[in-house]
Amino acid sequence: MERPRIPLATAAASPPRENLPALALLAPFLIAFLLFFLVPAVETFWLSLTESSLTRTSAFVGLENYATLVQDTSFWDALGNTFYFALLTVIPLTAIGLVMALLVNRFVAAQGWLQGVFFLPFVLPISVMTLIADWMLQPSSGVINHILGIQRPWLADPTWALPAVAIGTVWWTVGFNMLLFLAGLRNIPAEQYEAAALDGARGWKLFANITWPALRPVTVTCLILQVIASLKVFGQTYILTSGGPFNTTRVTLHYMYETAFTQSDAGYAAAIAMAFVAVVILLSLLQVWIVRWLEKRES
Amino acid sequence: MNGKSNLGWTVIGAASAVLLAALWAAPLLWALSTALRPELETVSADFHWLPQTWTLDAFARTLGAGNLLRWLFNSALVALSVTVVTMAISLMAAYAFSQLRFRGRSLLFGLAMLAFLLPFEALLVPLFRTMNQLGMINSYAGIVLPQVVSPVVIYVFKQFFDGIPADFREAAVMDGAGPLRVLWSVYLPISGNIVWAMAIVTFIAAWNNFLWPFIIVTSNDMMTIPLGLTQTYDAFGVRYAQLMAAALLGALPVALAYVLFQKKVTQGFLAASGLKG
Amino acid sequence: MASVTLRGIEKRYGDNLVIKGVDLDVDDGQFVVFVGPSGCGKSTLLRMIAGLEDISAGSLELGGKPCNDVEPARRGIAMVFQSYALYPHMTVAENMGFALKLAKVPKAEIAQRVERAAAILQIGHLLERKPKALSGGQRQRVAIGRAIVRKPEVFLFDEPLSNLDAALRAQTRVELAHLHRELGSTMIYVTHDQVEAMTLGQKIVVFNGGRIEQVGTPLELYERPANLFVAGFLGSPRMNFIPATLAGEEGATAAVRLPDGSVAEVAADVARARVGATLTLGIRPEHLRIVGEAGHGAIAATVGLVEYLGDVVLVHLQVPGVDGMLAAKVGTGGATPAVGSRVGLRFDAGQAYLFDEAGLAFAPSRTRETLQAGQTAGIQ
Repeated sequence: MERPRIPLATAAASPPRENLPALALLAPFLIAFLLFFLVPAVETFWLSLTESSLTRTSAFVGLENYATLVQDTSFWDALGNTFYFALLTVIPLTAIGLVMALLVNRFVAAQGWLQGVFFLPFVLPISVMTLIADWMLQPSSGVINHILGIQRPWLADPTWALPAVAIGTVWWTVGFNMLLFLAGLRNIPAEQYEAAALDGARGWKLFANITWPALRPVTVTCLILQVIASLKVFGQTYILTSGGPFNTTRVTLHYMYETAFTQSDAGYAAAIAMAFVAVVILLSLLQVWIVRWLEKRES
Repeated sequence: MNGKSNLGWTVIGAASAVLLAALWAAPLLWALSTALRPELETVSADFHWLPQTWTLDAFARTLGAGNLLRWLFNSALVALSVTVVTMAISLMAAYAFSQLRFRGRSLLFGLAMLAFLLPFEALLVPLFRTMNQLGMINSYAGIVLPQVVSPVVIYVFKQFFDGIPADFREAAVMDGAGPLRVLWSVYLPISGNIVWAMAIVTFIAAWNNFLWPFIIVTSNDMMTIPLGLTQTYDAFGVRYAQLMAAALLGALPVALAYVLFQKKVTQGFLAASGLKG
Repeated sequence: MASVTLRGIEKRYGDNLVIKGVDLDVDDGQFVVFVGPSGCGKSTLLRMIAGLEDISAGSLELGGKPCNDVEPARRGIAMVFQSYALYPHMTVAENMGFALKLAKVPKAEIAQRVERAAAILQIGHLLERKPKALSGGQRQRVAIGRAIVRKPEVFLFDEPLSNLDAALRAQTRVELAHLHRELGSTMIYVTHDQVEAMTLGQKIVVFNGGRIEQVGTPLELYERPANLFVAGFLGSPRMNFIPATLAGEEGATAAVRLPDGSVAEVAADVARARVGATLTLGIRPEHLRIVGEAGHGAIAATVGLVEYLGDVVLVHLQVPGVDGMLAAKVGTGGATPAVGSRVGLRFDAGQAYLFDEAGLAFAPSRTRETLQAGQTAGIQ
């Protein structure tokens, strides 16, 4: 007996037009969307073309802010710090996330606990992470220095401040990547493993030939999400190091915040924001293209 | 890894699992251990993993001094409001996008999804100015309102609604239900699980939101937990037991939400990232 | 008055015209079946009557009142969906009472009407259960009960039996007929199953490609199909079609030449056709007789396959000049020919049909009525 075809609400059906009820249902969202996204988005663009303070809008100055931006070493330093942070976090976050997912998937009996331990930090507020990190990184009473037997002032050391924040970030957010990889692992059909087992594949061979290729799409997603997320870093560096020491941890968004709220230069800050968005979009596109190019090269 | 592994791999795997789990649990456990000892012990040269003297002193002081309770209240109010409002407007919008035929449907939906492209961080300055003009700086409404715009939640709900067979809606229409009624009496109950998942995830995200409250809140009394915890140095001085106690108390609600609803939280985060759980 | 009147109904999806002008009258209290192959538009038409689809052109009247733009819930109709569409989170009682609750009917009355409908359908003991705890047949009754409770003028059924297994289907068919007698309401029933159509319908509407092919009682459609499509659609196994040319006309019978050269007689009025015209001869399996050998008016055939169905035997035969095999229904008493044996086929002139090049049937000649008097149209 056939399963009946249950029609889904696709465009093929054409019930009577429902403009008015639709408007009523959409109104709250549309109003909020307009006020808190669309208008601010347009305003950012427009502000970047003016010279404005935080509370008043002033003269239209065209692309002057952008011209200044291009020459602004502080901006490029901040951008460099951001990229450095991304470099420090993306690979570890992806790799450790993968390992965790593999372990959770393998040791099914302890799954709830393992998954819980790895993921719990992710649901914590940022300031919990920063408080604990700051405590652990204390030069004299911090537990890290006690284990390593040194007295290094991590967060005050220009070389080590950003890496320290990066390590804290890895602890804090890796759980999410683990989830992505877990979902990817669970979508691999069991038959592939059974067939491979019959072919005599074990351990590493199994991973390299079955698991890893099947996980490629998830890995790509994960990398892209990680890069974008690390570009948006702000809270950790602001709270832990205030952008110091010597601006070595001042990231792009921090610079934007300072420009807007400390120097009350809203116009220039908006230009920074626009540049920031451009960087994010460009990098995302770049990644997607690289992935497509790699896939083409393979087939 | 599925399938048969030989003993070597199992041992390595188990050892790695234990090691990683220990590493990941360590910071919170250490914070707990710190919070349960007297202040002097935390900075003494004599290092101990476990408290020599067990005491709840730090917790008591934390709840007494500073504004921790006030911050907890603010966070609870804000997170709950954000969750309720986001769920309400997102469900309605998602239902309209999914089930109703109206002019401009794809255009509007595309526009809403455009928000994915533009990060919230880029809107901070104009949002602040708008809030200033509306007189909502440092107010609950000011903290809550920008957070209710969530294309992710709408997207997840719309996808889910699309997958519900149209027969239920048509039967309800024939029974005389209007669109709002169909959403409330038919779609909502059927979507129970996913709505809970997204609600919990929204709650956690709202509780943990640092950036926006950081911009909009100007007085200590209106701070939410993530903000307030950064003020603890001023409140308590450099007293690590109390700082850790404050951190743990601030983390408690969301940690509890996760422990109680682990499956839903997982489901919600995965849905939000576009993958199936 | 619960009549349904359709005039010039059309349905367009973009540039695609899927319902191509339908005129139909359904009388108060009638059980009308819409039948046809998948994609013929019968379900679309039903949904247009229900108000779930826009009407592109034409007029729909329910009880004499124009209803093109009236909301579904205000048309006085109730629909039983193919998938039943029972609300999964509500109990059976809540499912059945939902429409009344929306109409703000007092609780006491809702309870009373639900109980009465449940009694009619014998599901009173299931009222507190949820749909997932019910069998397919039980769910279907609940779906019907939900419609009954609303006391509609017109019931609409969208392939309600297609999800049931064969035994349950036969049983439910009987109960549906009984329900119609008891309630006396107008019922429009959509199905692709011609058995359901023949047994349930007081009036059958045969659809094909968005158009009505023929409307009539089951007997009319079976014995006087208006065209090739209807002739081949009703009846199982399907009517046998043999290509033929018109050889001549003799009084009240037409003489047609068959592919093997033999000439057969059909009691049809072929006045409008020329000699030599290409025709199709139709003869139902139950009217095809197998005789020992060809010749003397019997068509030559070879037995290809024999199927024993228990109460009847189906013999499939190869006839030269005919694509595919012809089917003959034979009783179980007596010898059935062996596969591969050569036999002859005969039929009565009064039981055969003739269709022209366009597939339209020729009217029966006067002698046909006398020849067919007393014949029972056998189904299956």
